[in-house]
Amino acid sequence: MAERGRQYLILADEDLISLVEAADAEAFATLYDRHSRAAFSLAYRMMGERQASEDLTQDAFLKVWRGASSYRADRGSVRTWILSIVHNRGIDQIRSQASRRRTQDKVEASAPRSQPSEAFAEAWRNSQRDQVREALNTLPSEQLKILELAYFSGYTHVEISDLLGLPLGTVKGRMRLGLKKIRDYFESRSAAVPR
Amino acid sequence: MSEMNNERFEDLKDAYVLGALPEEERLSFEEYLVAHPERQAEIDELGAVAGLLAFSPPEQEPSPELRNRVMEVVEAEAEPRRVRERSTLARVGDYLSVPSLALGAAALLVIGLLSWNVLLQGQVEDLQGQVQDSQGQVEDLQAQVEDAQTQQSQTIKLEGSWAEQGATAEVASMEENEIVLVARNMPSVPDDRTCQIWVIKGDVPKPSGLFQPDGNGTATPITNSIKKADVIAVTVEPAGGSEQPTSDPVLLAEL
Repeated sequence: MAERGRQYLILADEDLISLVEAADAEAFATLYDRHSRAAFSLAYRMMGERQASEDLTQDAFLKVWRGASSYRADRGSVRTWILSIVHNRGIDQIRSQASRRRTQDKVEASAPRSQPSEAFAEAWRNSQRDQVREALNTLPSEQLKILELAYFSGYTHVEISDLLGLPLGTVKGRMRLGLKKIRDYFESRSAAVPR
Repeated sequence: MSEMNNERFEDLKDAYVLGALPEEERLSFEEYLVAHPERQAEIDELGAVAGLLAFSPPEQEPSPELRNRVMEVVEAEAEPRRVRERSTLARVGDYLSVPSLALGAAALLVIGLLSWNVLLQGQVEDLQGQVQDSQGQVEDLQAQVEDAQTQQSQTIKLEGSWAEQGATAEVASMEENEIVLVARNMPSVPDDRTCQIWVIKGDVPKPSGLFQPDGNGTATPITNSIKKADVIAVTVEPAGGSEQPTSDPVLLAEL
């Protein structure tokens, strides 16, 4: 069993998803170990507290387990797919709350964890994360704020317009410019937008 | 609400990929997208940009209890799911046993039943085809897994003066068409200098990526194919990189 577990560790995410589709729990556990930290980090950024974030992460991973067949490789990586599930369900939950409790910016420090056999993939993901953060740092604060209110806090463009006292056209314009600036960041470095 | 058209689609697409459209507008947008599938790739691309925000939050560690809870559900569901799949296969086997009975009875029955039998045989052939397809898919999956294992295990170690000083650098296949240079323990370089990767075919070096060494190690995509290349090298260049190498390689691998 231990030998089999090691074999899973070297499989690509796309292969693991195929095995999950065939109800392979060990393949799922490997995917969970690879991506749960990123999923939980996103959930925490959206929900703002641990319990709700854990519930959202659990909900998302069970959707991965039960709906692996809906993954489409041509639409992006497995990691992006998992994070999009977290995001979509997070938005649903935030919007369904009668009294919205919006994202808190307080974060907890956490020690990085890494599995030796996953070292390459982990280094690659860390590099992607650093690039994304660097790209976001190039955005004017008024654009970044609007992207964050929409993406993490689940506000609609109309709500952001009300909240910030800005014309709706300005909100849409800043969304467009913010996304364009992120894309330009990668293009200027001759790098593809990670998917 | 205004009717969805090309102009409105353009106006709303950024809010859509950020998840910032109200429900009604979102549905209207998606209906338009279904009717205009040629716009899907554009939305996927824009969605990938918006999706990058998901990578930006500070790292948080989920509790081990969360893993236990998730795996408890998964393990409880795994066996019933496998049983369901097995029973589906068993039903296929049942179907496969029908034709001989049906054919025997058909000789005694009226024309209508003969027609029914023809129909049944068609179903049997379909099912046999499905079984063969399934077997083919299993074989394909096994081949993909073997390919993945082979690809994952392919790494190329770079040698050179920095390696002698304790730096390690390897070229690794992460995914199809995705090759990265993973480097650790690299000496630091001044702010006005950068490390540049070169893929060399014959005596033509192609600039193939820049990185700034740091204490944590780096993973840098190699932007040119290494198929048929002779050498992968790393040199120290002025910040921003060079068109041609301006210094001797500090790391090198002959392919």
